[in-house]
Amino acid sequence: MAADHVRILIVDDENQIRRVLAVSLASQGYVVDEAASGQEGLSRAAACQPDLTVLDLGLPDIDGIEVLRRLREWTQTPVIILSVREDEGDKVKALDAGADDYVTKPFAMGELLARIRVALRRKTGEGDEPILSFGELTLDLGRRLAAFRGERLKLSVTEYEILKCLAVHKGKVVTHGQLLRTIRGPLYQDDTHYLRVYIAQLRRKIEEDPNHPRYIITEPGVGYRLTTEG
Amino acid sequence: MPHSQEGEPPPSPLWPAKGYLNASLCVVLATVAGRMVAPFSDNTTVTLLYLLAVLVSAASWGRGPSLFASCLGVLALDFFFVPPVLSFAVDDPKDLTTLAIFLLVGIVTGTIATRLRGEAEKTRQREKRTLALYSLSQQMASQTDLNEIAGLFAQTLAEATGGRVSILMPDRGGLVLREVATHPHGGTSLNDKERAVVQWVLEHGRPAGRGTEILRHASELVFPAKAGTKTIAALIIDLNVKNETLPSEQQQLFEAFANLAAVAIIRTRLAKEAQQVQWLAESEKLHRALLNSISHDLRTPLASVMGAVTGLLEEGGPCNEETTRAFLEMIKEGALRMNRFVANLLDMARLESDTLRLKAEWCDIQDIVGVTLRDMRDTLGERRVAIDIPSDLPFVKADFALLEHVLINLLENAVKYSPPGKEISLAARSTGTELLVTVADQGQPIPKDERQHVFEKFYRLQYSGGTAGTGLGLSICKGIIEAHGGLIWVDPSSQPGNRFTFSLPVLEQPFVQAEKEEEESHGR
Repeated sequence: MAADHVRILIVDDENQIRRVLAVSLASQGYVVDEAASGQEGLSRAAACQPDLTVLDLGLPDIDGIEVLRRLREWTQTPVIILSVREDEGDKVKALDAGADDYVTKPFAMGELLARIRVALRRKTGEGDEPILSFGELTLDLGRRLAAFRGERLKLSVTEYEILKCLAVHKGKVVTHGQLLRTIRGPLYQDDTHYLRVYIAQLRRKIEEDPNHPRYIITEPGVGYRLTTEG
Repeated sequence: MPHSQEGEPPPSPLWPAKGYLNASLCVVLATVAGRMVAPFSDNTTVTLLYLLAVLVSAASWGRGPSLFASCLGVLALDFFFVPPVLSFAVDDPKDLTTLAIFLLVGIVTGTIATRLRGEAEKTRQREKRTLALYSLSQQMASQTDLNEIAGLFAQTLAEATGGRVSILMPDRGGLVLREVATHPHGGTSLNDKERAVVQWVLEHGRPAGRGTEILRHASELVFPAKAGTKTIAALIIDLNVKNETLPSEQQQLFEAFANLAAVAIIRTRLAKEAQQVQWLAESEKLHRALLNSISHDLRTPLASVMGAVTGLLEEGGPCNEETTRAFLEMIKEGALRMNRFVANLLDMARLESDTLRLKAEWCDIQDIVGVTLRDMRDTLGERRVAIDIPSDLPFVKADFALLEHVLINLLENAVKYSPPGKEISLAARSTGTELLVTVADQGQPIPKDERQHVFEKFYRLQYSGGTAGTGLGLSICKGIIEAHGGLIWVDPSSQPGNRFTFSLPVLEQPFVQAEKEEEESHGR
């Protein structure tokens, strides 16, 4: 498996969670490191240079967001937040502070593994590819073309920009603010209704059943992600 | 009724001389009439005419003018009618007696008529005040807020007395005086002397200050509001009267007002206490119900998890792959249920503690439905859910996550309370002013008289039997929907079953400029 020699650091103060994660990740072929506090997490990260960190927000010593900020001062290695905090504000804060993804506890292991794979793929495949594929959806960034099942999609400028923004993040959740800044500029980052309109239009063009979207997934209160998994 | 010393109502304040002028006019009229009838009758008739003038004066303008009319009448009678006419001299000594008796009768009649007039006037005043008291007591009965009662009270009393009224209440152990109401035309910022008077009144429960025997040099009258023997408030009344002892009638009026105020204040206090007691009992009940519900609803899924796990760990283990899978599914289902339960508890805590703040944003109901169905994949399993959502529905201003919780609860109920193979349907419609979202199942219809109650906290249907539930889900739905300014209800659906509908107000839609699609999406 491609997971060989990929190091993952788990920072969580709950022993049980660490054990479940360690067993599951090891069985997928990852090399697992553990830390039970923010301080320990930071020093382990510096010492063993993980390829990805799974970080809890509710740590006993330093808040997880602060750990994330300190990590981001010297490394761009992917960080996935794993937290019981359901508040959308916390999610957006973590994502804005540089987290790659956010999974709430309790979580399904399959979901977490999928997010880990997406984050790792993004990290390794950072070379700019001009053509991106999501299932039956293809984006040709060079020629500014989008196609679904081989047929060219008729998209408005904004629709294309949203799709492109989601596509280049490859499965990572893009917050409302990030999307609006990209398509409308920094002054309009609170106009979420604008996004709702265009996302609904896009779904009508690329989703077989807009009631069960497969490509554009809504993260309530946070943003959207483009995915083919699940 | 009051023993009144002063029989006379106050004279017209505008022009006191007016009464005397009118009385003279009456005498003049009597003279003219007398002259006219004199040829056909004797002086007795004329005397009666003058008496009439005295009576009218007494009834209309009081004692002074009536006495004045009597005297004037005697003179006029003497001058114009008693021989020798046009002279004050009297020929016949008999006529002198007539004049004397006339004067006596005039004075007595005048006095009696004046007193009657005074009584009538007083009765009118009393009636007015009784009416004021009555309407005040009526208004107070419908008020529960202490400040409003006191305000109403001060205003009415001020209107009835023509003075300015404020109400002071001792606060927290009697150390602080709290001004609870002031007549709009003048607040009293108490000086030390007035404060001392108020304190005295509160301690002794007797009126003091201006117009009373005690502390009479104070600038205001202070009246106690008493309930039983306890003085619970002081009324400061600033009257426009001279510094003299207050008539007992007015004292009684103030007393009536003050007692009414005391009763009203006591009543609000009692009501508040009763409410507190009820609230405590209620919360006690809720507490117990919650504990029951928590232990039941956590233990049931926990039991299935424990059972499955111990089954898996059992020596020898499950015999085949299929059993293992079944055990694992049970564990997952139990965990999911516990998770839902915790989410509901959190929602309820937020709704209860009034800390629920809606993160309202423009939401596409189709989007919310999409997310809900995705999050409920495991719960819905193989169950067919028919979705009917037109693509042109208006957006609603709502909290995305909370509306998802509503849909999850409704769908979960539909799954729980309808037979496994039966379809569930979810539809949304717009009426222009409202968005209606409906979740319909084909379960056993809820009896009519229970439909209202299913949204109450911890309410479980009589027939719900073995189905596990907290009676929390629907009450949370109701709380969330009402926080959005909407309504939620249940009615029977056409295929036997239940149809839960909630409405959300549709506001003016945000403007989004339409863009044209580009055939060739490149080019810039």
